[in-house]
Amino acid sequence: MTMSTHSNFSSVPRYAGRCLLWLALLLAMVPIVFLVITSLKPEGVTRTVPPTWVFHPTIENYSSVLSTGAGSSVTFGRLLFNSAAVSVGTVILTIAVAVPAAYGLTLREFRRSKGVSSWILSTYMFPPIVAVIPLFIIAGSIGMTDRYPVLIIPYAAFNLPIAIWILRNSLHSIPVEVQEAALVDGANRPQIMWHILAPLLMPAVATAAIITLILAWNEFLLALSLTRAAAKTSPVGVQEFTGLYGTQWGNLTAASCMIAAPIVICVLILRRRVVSGLAFGAVK
Amino acid sequence: MTSQTGIAPPGTRDQLAPGDRIKPLAPQRALERRGRSIGWALLAPAMILLLLMTVGPAIFLIYSSLHNIQMFGGASGFVGLRNFQELLTDATFLHSLLVTLAFVVIAVGIELIVGLALALALAPKTRANGVAATLLLLPFAVTPVVSAMVFKQLLDPNYGWVNYYLSKVGLLPGQMDWLANPSTAWIALVALDIWQWTPFVALIILAGRQTLPQEVFEAASVDGSRPWQTFRYITLPMLAPFLAIAVVLRSIQAFKTFDSFQVLTGGGPGDSTEIINLGIYRTALQSFQVGAASAVGLVFLLILSALVPLLLRVVGRNAEPEKG
Repeated sequence: MTMSTHSNFSSVPRYAGRCLLWLALLLAMVPIVFLVITSLKPEGVTRTVPPTWVFHPTIENYSSVLSTGAGSSVTFGRLLFNSAAVSVGTVILTIAVAVPAAYGLTLREFRRSKGVSSWILSTYMFPPIVAVIPLFIIAGSIGMTDRYPVLIIPYAAFNLPIAIWILRNSLHSIPVEVQEAALVDGANRPQIMWHILAPLLMPAVATAAIITLILAWNEFLLALSLTRAAAKTSPVGVQEFTGLYGTQWGNLTAASCMIAAPIVICVLILRRRVVSGLAFGAVK
Repeated sequence: MTSQTGIAPPGTRDQLAPGDRIKPLAPQRALERRGRSIGWALLAPAMILLLLMTVGPAIFLIYSSLHNIQMFGGASGFVGLRNFQELLTDATFLHSLLVTLAFVVIAVGIELIVGLALALALAPKTRANGVAATLLLLPFAVTPVVSAMVFKQLLDPNYGWVNYYLSKVGLLPGQMDWLANPSTAWIALVALDIWQWTPFVALIILAGRQTLPQEVFEAASVDGSRPWQTFRYITLPMLAPFLAIAVVLRSIQAFKTFDSFQVLTGGGPGDSTEIINLGIYRTALQSFQVGAASAVGLVFLLILSALVPLLLRVVGRNAEPEKG
């Protein structure tokens, strides 16, 4: 009796629920469809009422944005390069600093491990806007404004809580028996680190690196405050497209696609890793 | 029911380390001291970097909030608590404090409800659900500044798709300038946040849902549990740790929101959507009133510090390695 009422009661609402789900997902795709479609339109038909749906796709927006970069003294290609340089620099610095720190936190003799890792985690709540004020003043006075390190160093710092926690959790999950066995076989600590722990830690390093890469690539507030032209990153560049020339939707959406595409591809490929990483490894 | 999805009680796992149970060969004391200093040495670069970018600025803020610093020359002297005094009577500040809180509560609240619904709907591992989950990833993967720019164009009063298609299906009487009116500007900002971040919430909950043992749901179904009962007494309590992670992380991120407000409204119209983050940015970097901005920053920092215990509890505990 229970099973039959169960299915009778739930089949209609379930069907309605599925329809609602797909409707919501389709609606959520509208901004992405707008972004991609508009970037492929010839400049004449980007801003029309009603919106144009039939047109000859073209990549002229992409080529024009890469070579000139509307409303900016530097080309958009240069901004993308800056973004890439800053992101890669941030990943290298973050990993180089986070891996030893995570290892230190898991040393048995290190008594303050719990307190220190809690403190590191708690810095995640630190709002970057608060660091922007002194950074803006100090960078200005020592002539570091508009250079890569002025972004790379704070980006690395703000990514450390996530990176260290991902790595720390991974080190914790390596069974102690693995190290014991190596020790019995006469391995010393550096050998254990290099030959046993390092390979087992690689997935976590990859996760931390990809999370850092995404957050550095997407960052806007510090880039807006601390760069002018030479080190300006692409998110800062793209929001200037509105200001000077009115908005050329073709250029704007082409530039937007080029910023978003690398991250979208990364996230689609490394889906589980990204979600788990952004949740500090708290979900698998 | 007591098994909380394999999550350890507080403090039990923290003491375990890869070095555990390895009997040192050298004299205990000396090795331990060396291990301790190795620990600090390994942590030093990370700690210095973090201190430099968090505690450093906080100290700067305390100093500059007590002085009336002028960014470009000019005498700056000690003014005591005057910056804070002015803050308390400043209607703009109180307004920005209020709208920030309202934004966080409303946006995160809706994201949690919708995210939970999506996660439960997508839990059965079918091909259609796989496609849906992939689509769900897209908004979350788009660079926030880009999404804000896209929303701005979609809401364009003359050429925007939103106005055109909404009036076409009869939901909108005529032309509407969404960002020129405080209430519709807020709708746009909250909608953007929900569009961008609900997938993150949903994917965390979905990952959590897929770790729950299927037998519990089968047993409930055999016992004649109605869908609502199953949800209320089984699914919801078992998902609670994951809901907590999603809510705490999203709340912290929502407090830090800057991109969408800067791009979409710039705090306007008037100062109706000027959240604290934006207020600090404009006071310090556009009006160059560093002292006043520092006072606001300090208050903001204190408010966010209230979230630290929650973060430590939810992430600190749940992120411990699961063992069975």
